[in-house]
Amino acid sequence: MAERYSSFRSGSTTWLLQRLTAAFLVVVLAFHFFNLHFVTHAYEIEFAGSQARMETLGYYVTMVLFLVTATFHGVNGVYNALVNQGIDGKAKRAAQIVLGVAGILLVVQGVRVANALAGF
Amino acid sequence: MSTQTPESETETETEPEAEAEPPATKSHQQRRMDDKRARAEARDEAAAQAATEFEGETVELKVFRYDPEVEGKEEPRFDSFTVPFEKGMTVLDALIFARDEYDSSLTFRHSCRQAVCGSDAFFVNGRQRLGCQTQMGDLEWPVRVEPLPHQDVVKDLVVEMDHFYDQMESVQPFFDPDELPDGELEEQRQDRENRENIKLSTRCIWCGACMSSCNIAAGDNQYLGPAAINAAYRFYMDEREGEQKRQERLEIIEQEHGVWRCQTQFSCTEVCPKDIPLTEHIQELKREAVKENLKFW
Amino acid sequence: MSESYDRGLVEDFGRWTEFSAGMWAWVFHKFTGWVLVGYLFTHISVLSTSLQGAQAYNNTLSGLEGLALVRILEVGLLAVAVFHILNGIRLLFVDLGVGLEAQDKSFYASLVLTGVIVVASVPTFLAGAF
Repeated sequence: MAERYSSFRSGSTTWLLQRLTAAFLVVVLAFHFFNLHFVTHAYEIEFAGSQARMETLGYYVTMVLFLVTATFHGVNGVYNALVNQGIDGKAKRAAQIVLGVAGILLVVQGVRVANALAGF
Repeated sequence: MSTQTPESETETETEPEAEAEPPATKSHQQRRMDDKRARAEARDEAAAQAATEFEGETVELKVFRYDPEVEGKEEPRFDSFTVPFEKGMTVLDALIFARDEYDSSLTFRHSCRQAVCGSDAFFVNGRQRLGCQTQMGDLEWPVRVEPLPHQDVVKDLVVEMDHFYDQMESVQPFFDPDELPDGELEEQRQDRENRENIKLSTRCIWCGACMSSCNIAAGDNQYLGPAAINAAYRFYMDEREGEQKRQERLEIIEQEHGVWRCQTQFSCTEVCPKDIPLTEHIQELKREAVKENLKFW
Repeated sequence: MSESYDRGLVEDFGRWTEFSAGMWAWVFHKFTGWVLVGYLFTHISVLSTSLQGAQAYNNTLSGLEGLALVRILEVGLLAVAVFHILNGIRLLFVDLGVGLEAQDKSFYASLVLTGVIVVASVPTFLAGAF
């Protein structure tokens, strides 16, 4: 198939990524909820406890992955909802830019938070 | 009444004179004419009565009316028709009765009345159905008939189908093999298994019910729609199709407003009058597109 | 052809009794999705107080957790997240082509299961809130 050089124009990549991140998030979000509402209760959470969790490398890596996948899944979901609604032309371009920037900012800020808690 | 023969009309006018004669002096022909007249009068009376009352069950049919050229119908309204119910009658039968007996301006598309032409898709009691395929007895009464949703209404129950046809044409629903078999009379063969796979997808009658039921098609005007994607499926999965055409077809349906817009709402599958598993076919094409693209890496 | 009439969207919420299971699933999945995205941004903002040190972080969190309204909203968050996860699993099966015949039943099942999980979690979530 030498005629086709980029698979990026097809929506199949984002479609697949949305499903892959979904599968990952099902597990991790459930775990996150369980950990922070049942194992530790929400009202018991304070800096020292959060720090203790974040200092373990495995937990830290999971949380950062969680952040990235959730941001992608959520922002992509919102974008698709807008396309289904019929967004077009300039509005579509604007949505792409706003959503893209918001997503990047969220990930950056989230990593800063993770680092603050982990003591990096 | 148009069904009556002209003779009886002139005969009723001469009625008073004929009755005064004693029966014994009547000729055979005269007696025959009298009987004929009496029968005609009885028929007239019965017909006049039938027009205002019906024997047996009747059903109320509420139909969406709209006609930009007629005062009173410029804003849509619902007209009620009382239709005598007969076991086995369809929504189409009821509409035809209403048109013939009450209002000949009632407009709707219909043709084969056996669910193969796809002309009479309506929105009946809140669901897309074919008029000829829907039994009045299966519905809740009164029966509400509206034009298909999400499409512009031209008049009464007639909707614009151009957009639907455009989407169908855009997937290029025709064969284009890479090469024809040798020999002039050689057939392009397809094995049984392959035929079974695509059998259901060949049943589409282009009625438009599926596209009308899809919320994504309603919001996104560029979405190809279930029928068009199913048409693409029918050819894509057919082993007689040429590889070149197959790739082209895939590129068409894997655009942003192609298969990816489907959110698996399943409404199309539910309303399809030919029981085609549309969502399943769309899903198969999505998986196919992913597999084809993954091969690149 | 002279002007045709645009009837607009027929399925406005006035016709909700006519919605099918698949349509409800789509509507709810979208709604819960928007809520979760909104929450994600809020959540990171709240956690950003950690950048100002332990004191700010602790005060913010305990302050929020002290409000009964917040505790109730957390139950709502649970409901939204659980539904989105369960229906999401249903959608993953649909995408794999498994169990398409039972797609409406699986939607009802995910609704019921969401209800069960939320009700079972209420005691834990609202402990000490009032």
